[in-house]
Amino acid sequence: MTQIATPVTAVSHRSLAQWLFNPFRFIAGFKALLLGLIIIALTSLLGSLSNTHFDGTLDVHTGLQTAYTGMQLPLWLFLAEGLINWLSLALPLYFFGLILSRSSLRFIDVLGTQALARWPYLLTALVMMPPSNKRITRYFMSLAMQGPAADPLNYLDMTVFIFAMLVTILMVVWMVVLMYRAYSLCCNIKGAKAVITFIISLIGAEVLSKLAIFAVFTRI
Amino acid sequence: MKVLPSVCPACGNGLNVKSLICQNCQTEVQGRYDLPPLAGLSLDDQQFILDFIKASGSLKEMAGLLGLSYPTVRNRLDEIIERIKLAQQQNENT
Repeated sequence: MTQIATPVTAVSHRSLAQWLFNPFRFIAGFKALLLGLIIIALTSLLGSLSNTHFDGTLDVHTGLQTAYTGMQLPLWLFLAEGLINWLSLALPLYFFGLILSRSSLRFIDVLGTQALARWPYLLTALVMMPPSNKRITRYFMSLAMQGPAADPLNYLDMTVFIFAMLVTILMVVWMVVLMYRAYSLCCNIKGAKAVITFIISLIGAEVLSKLAIFAVFTRI
Repeated sequence: MKVLPSVCPACGNGLNVKSLICQNCQTEVQGRYDLPPLAGLSLDDQQFILDFIKASGSLKEMAGLLGLSYPTVRNRLDEIIERIKLAQQQNENT
């Protein structure tokens, strides 16, 4: 009969703060990848419903020309944005990990945790859902493009829009913290080396994702 | 259980074993023996290594048993390896 060894090493205590700011201590690999891909898909779905584009690793734009023209973009485009954003960062981070880390890192850990680190944008997609955001965007777009006058602004729409903007800013910060923690843990790189390579990767990912998404947009 | 000290409380240098005693006949052996590298680790680290061996050296199994992710457990093991290497290097230097 096989006996499973019970570890005497203290089993880690899972606090809410750890789940919020460093969930990768407990979850990585295939589980994180699966969960992360579900989150990316849900974010894309909600984004398509509210015309919110995640058109860059850190970018969030609501409406764009679609709010003005009323043109509905296909769901696959929103999905493509999510996948491009995720891979644009995960790949350079893995590359830096291979060069700098002395540990034997696993590609699936980097992929999975970077996908899961995008979960704050699911909340962003949620707060972008109310039609107030669409009306505000349409209003500003009509001003900017000197088109036909949109409905006048009202306080409720403005309040909802400002709330959504504030939440989005918080979510960006939170997501970057999660991305960094995931990188540091999965590649076992710490200190200045980790911070510098993460910033380089993030800037590279932003450029790469913008170019890739632009290329996809031009195919429509 | 008393904790085996591995570092001198006065100057912080590594300690050696001076005497050993037989629990059965009380024969005492005196000399100067180096502590094994593992004895220089903290009790937590020693326990981790024991658990790791019991888990057949599988980080995946360790991660499952401890409720931690694979990279967390791997990093812990890497830290312990670094400590052992450092201790061995210090021993060689002295």
